[in-house]
Amino acid sequence: MRRCLIIEDDTENAQYVANGLRELDWIVAVCRDGVDAIGRAVDEAWDLIILDRMLPNDLDGLSILKTLRSLGRKTPVVVLSALAATDERVRGLKAGCDDYLTKPFAFSELAARIEAVLRRSQPEEGVREMRVADMRVDLIARRVERDGRSIALQPREFRLLAYLLAHQGRVVTRTMLLESVWDYRFDPQTNVIDVHISRLRSKIDKDAAVPLIHTVRGVGYMLSPARPTRELAQ
Amino acid sequence: MTGVFARWWSSIAFRQALIFGALVVFTMTVLLAVFYMQTIGVWQRRFDSQIETTTQHLVEYQKRSGSFALGGHINALLGDGIDSDTEVYTLVAPDGHLVAGNLAVTSDITVPRGISEHSVLRAGRPSRSRLRVTALNDGSTLIVGRDMQDLYELEKLIRAAIASGAFVTLVMAVAGALVFRRQLERRIGTIRQTAAQIERGDLAQRVPISAQQDEFARLSRDINAMLDRIHGLMEGVRHVSNTIAHNIRTPLSRVLARLYTAQNASNPTEALPDAVGFAIAEIQDLNIVFDKLLRIAEVESGARRQTFTAVSLNEIAINALELYDAVAEAKGVTLTHTLEAEPSVAGDGDLLANAVANLIDNAIKYTPNGGRVHVDTQREEASVTLTVRDNGRGIPEEERARVGTRFYRLDRAVPGWGLGLASVMAIARLHGGSLQLADAGPGLIARLVLPATLA
Repeated sequence: MRRCLIIEDDTENAQYVANGLRELDWIVAVCRDGVDAIGRAVDEAWDLIILDRMLPNDLDGLSILKTLRSLGRKTPVVVLSALAATDERVRGLKAGCDDYLTKPFAFSELAARIEAVLRRSQPEEGVREMRVADMRVDLIARRVERDGRSIALQPREFRLLAYLLAHQGRVVTRTMLLESVWDYRFDPQTNVIDVHISRLRSKIDKDAAVPLIHTVRGVGYMLSPARPTRELAQ
Repeated sequence: MTGVFARWWSSIAFRQALIFGALVVFTMTVLLAVFYMQTIGVWQRRFDSQIETTTQHLVEYQKRSGSFALGGHINALLGDGIDSDTEVYTLVAPDGHLVAGNLAVTSDITVPRGISEHSVLRAGRPSRSRLRVTALNDGSTLIVGRDMQDLYELEKLIRAAIASGAFVTLVMAVAGALVFRRQLERRIGTIRQTAAQIERGDLAQRVPISAQQDEFARLSRDINAMLDRIHGLMEGVRHVSNTIAHNIRTPLSRVLARLYTAQNASNPTEALPDAVGFAIAEIQDLNIVFDKLLRIAEVESGARRQTFTAVSLNEIAINALELYDAVAEAKGVTLTHTLEAEPSVAGDGDLLANAVANLIDNAIKYTPNGGRVHVDTQREEASVTLTVRDNGRGIPEEERARVGTRFYRLDRAVPGWGLGLASVMAIARLHGGSLQLADAGPGLIARLVLPATLA
């Protein structure tokens, strides 16, 4: 079982995140006080720390993060803050967090980002080729085959597919796709991503026995040979 | 008196004029002094050489004809009427009595030496004279010299001239300073008056511009321009707080109304899920509005100017085009582009991408099925332009000025928040550029004009 420490002084918010993570089989501890939090973050072993920024006694969560990093701990940290300005985000990333999510947020977005962060902390290197069901993707030559039939993709479509593949079996949100495939750190708010996905889907899943790209309602998308379960969709 | 002077002294105009006057006096004095020294020096050297040659001439005369004849010669020289006001000739016998000449002989002047100045009695009048005293071979003493009194009179005259000149200059400097001060005070007074009125809360006041095109007129214009900008900003703030209040309170009251209704419904369990769904959607919308407003505020604060780098507008355009080509295709809109060679600008890549995406998004949104949207970039000497042109319905001319104010929406039937163009404009301003809207007949031409970086 994976262990997560939530450092957050707002009880309601902390409970919301904790309940969500427990449903995903995490062991969760909540810490509402910054000073306590430093001790627990350093002394115990965690798979993940979720960190609020504005803590009681004028303590910035980033100082906890800096302490942790200065001690050489590489525990993945996701910062959850109402401070959304670009320079605040940059400060967070400079202090060493793995992702920075602004409040208010949907739990599904947080869950998807946690999965991505955990995946990133154990990188798979030297992968040349990936297979899912009857699809074969050559990451070097940028070729896609399905059931032995070659599929022509535009460069951006290929990047989209590659990102979905790298996170196969996990939900990726629209903002995650915008950030990594288009390098956009803002949300254009239109259904741009949905249209791209449906175009990719029409090329990949057309006439296929097993559909690979699935829509997770209200959250994002998932590439998987099997339909996503109800639990993941939440 | 000191109080009056202290008040004058506290005026920069007075101080400047007075210091300038003092400088004039000083320069004049130095000039006259140098001129005087030079002139006196020249005259003195000339007199000295004259004294020297006359002495030699007389010594030789005495050698040839003896001291008695010299006495006669001296009397003849003194009586000839030439230079009789200034010439000094005296021959003293070895026993000390005067043989001939116009000096009252005293013992301290009969000691032979080179040319030097003495106070003497010449022809019965006291005067300062330069004298050359020579011992002759028979023991008598010859004194040749020149009365310098006239030169000293001239010196006195020049000194008096310097003094009175300096005094007049100083008086004029003070008078000028006072006039200058009053002039300056009058011009600054109008500015101060306006400032005081504005301080009291009358923000519509402006500094009256005088007819002269001088420094003060320019300063006044600058101040007025600044005041206009501040006024505009304040109006903007008022407008924004009003519209924010409206646009946030309205959905909040909608949500509350819906939840209260559901709570008080005869069958709450049936009504609540709908109300909750409605509330979530409205609050998510509110969050988006809030986020967009904060982003505009962040852009307008100018803080992001610190992280400007060289950005290629073509890359940004291509990225945005590749993001929107699927949307355009799905809507049946043809999205085309022509990109010119490397238009690069100093800017924030994220924000510019946001602006370009916004313009393309708008164009596609307001262009009907079968329409066209064309994006092009152009580089001119000092600017780079990205143009998004569509053949949709466009914006009526009278509405164009209001587009870009926050929450202003041309068509309430099209989904949106009325913040897109406001944010594009803020981003353009941050980069020192502008957003220009024009009629494409039919359709809209939106030009994002940015200052080019020097290649």
